[in-house]
Amino acid sequence: MSANGGGPVKRNPKFTIYSARRFSWLVIVYLVLLGSAIVMATPFLWMLTTSLKDKYQALRIPPVWIPNPVHWENYLTAWNAAPFGRYFVNSIFLAVTSTLGDLITATLAAYAFAKMNFLGKNFIFALLLGTLMIPGEMLLVPSFILVKRIGWYNTYQVLIVPWITSVFGIFLLRQFFRTLPDELWDSARLDGCSRLRFLLQIAVPLVRPGMATLALFSFIGSWNAFLWVLIMTDKVELRTVPVGLRFFMMEMGSEYHLLMATATMAVIPVLILFLLAQKQFVQGIARTGLR
Amino acid sequence: MRWKNKRFWAETLQAYIFLLPTLAVLGVFTFFPFVNAFIYSGYDIKTRTVPGSVLFAITTDVESLIASLRRGRVPETLARVLEGHGAQTEHLWVRLREANRWVIRDEKNMQEYLILHEEGALVVRSTVTKWDMQPVGLENFRKVLADPDFVKALRNTAVYVGISVPITLFLALILATLLKQVTFGRSFFRLVNFSPYVTSVVAITMVWHWIFDRHAGLLNYVISTLGSFFGAKVAFVDWLGDPSLALPAVIILSVWRFVGYQAIILLAGMQSIDREYYEAAKVDGGSGLQVWWHITLPLLTPQIFFVFIISVIGAFRLFQEVLILFQGPGPEKSVLTLVYYLYEKAFGLGQYGLASAASVILFAIVFLLSLFNLTVVQRRVHYER
Repeated sequence: MSANGGGPVKRNPKFTIYSARRFSWLVIVYLVLLGSAIVMATPFLWMLTTSLKDKYQALRIPPVWIPNPVHWENYLTAWNAAPFGRYFVNSIFLAVTSTLGDLITATLAAYAFAKMNFLGKNFIFALLLGTLMIPGEMLLVPSFILVKRIGWYNTYQVLIVPWITSVFGIFLLRQFFRTLPDELWDSARLDGCSRLRFLLQIAVPLVRPGMATLALFSFIGSWNAFLWVLIMTDKVELRTVPVGLRFFMMEMGSEYHLLMATATMAVIPVLILFLLAQKQFVQGIARTGLR
Repeated sequence: MRWKNKRFWAETLQAYIFLLPTLAVLGVFTFFPFVNAFIYSGYDIKTRTVPGSVLFAITTDVESLIASLRRGRVPETLARVLEGHGAQTEHLWVRLREANRWVIRDEKNMQEYLILHEEGALVVRSTVTKWDMQPVGLENFRKVLADPDFVKALRNTAVYVGISVPITLFLALILATLLKQVTFGRSFFRLVNFSPYVTSVVAITMVWHWIFDRHAGLLNYVISTLGSFFGAKVAFVDWLGDPSLALPAVIILSVWRFVGYQAIILLAGMQSIDREYYEAAKVDGGSGLQVWWHITLPLLTPQIFFVFIISVIGAFRLFQEVLILFQGPGPEKSVLTLVYYLYEKAFGLGQYGLASAASVILFAIVFLLSLFNLTVVQRRVHYER
């Protein structure tokens, strides 16, 4: 056994020569990883393939993996079986507005915490930190009573306003703002630049990666939100995609080919977004997850 | 002194302007409900529908209108007038029929109208929901803790947490270790492993509902195929209908959903370990497993504990998967969870005070775990620094 535990021996940067032991280890690693990838991906593939079968083929055992013939019209049937157009418009509208709101409020607050010196800063920051210990489900009943009392039940504002700010976003952006040197603001101030203008024209462009990460999390969080919408509304017109899916499932029972078509429609936008912005995503998790 | 510094005060003012939107929203939708959860847990809260303002009165042809109301039909004249108030005829139905009192519900706008027979006329009123609150002290907590369903919910949740979290964490640790070994295809593996976490719980649980299907579900097929491969005959089981299999089904789903997410956090932690440690180990000639056991694992403990705690807290909040998989608390309430209990009490039965008491208990559990995390874990597990 070599002293370095069988690691690669680098001679020419283009070619890495592995010892036989190291090579067989790598083969095992890849096999296990591939196995786990198959397990992770199977439900998605199963969803996709079921969505393209007819009712009888969907129920066949052993399962048919490649639908034959391919029933693209399932998507149309499912789309027309419930007001999915409305659900999607609602989901997109709510995701966009709460993402924009989140970006604005979190930028302002995060900048204040990162770069400003003010009375009660530590106290308020601790207060925000404290909210992370509150399980959201605990707030459902008192929020419901509040929403009923102020007449916001079954309105768009109840689905938007509570979500236009997030402690997560503030923490995330605060970390980005803290990396900016203080001299930047000092010199801008000497040139007679106001704080808000400095924030919008100089600081925000410098933390663009952080904004992108926050936008991504905010959008996906809103897109997937379920329980709040379920409880704060009961009008069909206000349903979002996940809530619509739930009611569709209750109506359709075992029409799995149609259910899987709608599930695919709900999942695809997020998967595409994740595919495009994987780096920001993993960074966001690593940054806030690890403090 | 900063107290006398004019610039400090100007900055304070400006900072609060920046914080205003955040503080306003959090104040109304987080802090206020939070305090109220404790207050409401000391009350018996009921809703009551009371007559609101008079919308209009009908004096002609009253008898025939009453006759059709008694048969459970919404008379056309009435429907037309209600349309003037924003209702839609095809969504109207008579929800309540009493001697001289009817409630017509508009299923489209979720509005109710009260029809009263008073002095030879039909008076139509809007309805207002009143919240009745009676202080009951600690009665709600006593009721909740004495409720066998609550005890069951607590036990189910604890079993779920106790099994799913360690399994997920163990698998995630292995997955992260393996992912760290490879460079080629890492982003592909990351994508595949992470997808379950980013996609809608509802959509993905619907898929698993289908996978768990007794007759044509994939899981039964895979298990019986694997079984016959090893020469054993495995019968198809009813994952979602058998009380002893319902909770395991939820655990399978959770492990699948969270293992990749946890692995990504652990992987990021592994990558932040200083290379010097590994180089020192190389000089000492440690084997791969030794290095992993003596260097990677100890230096990763902060992340492992972090993941452990957030998973435990998250697992205590289990609800959506149960609602979608079972449309209820499962066979023989075998997957009744804490959050399901409070959801059912509040939004199924209208016992808001009782539900508040249950949410305070949920908070106490989560709070103690967070506190434990902040005080004990974060201080003790750092090997570095």
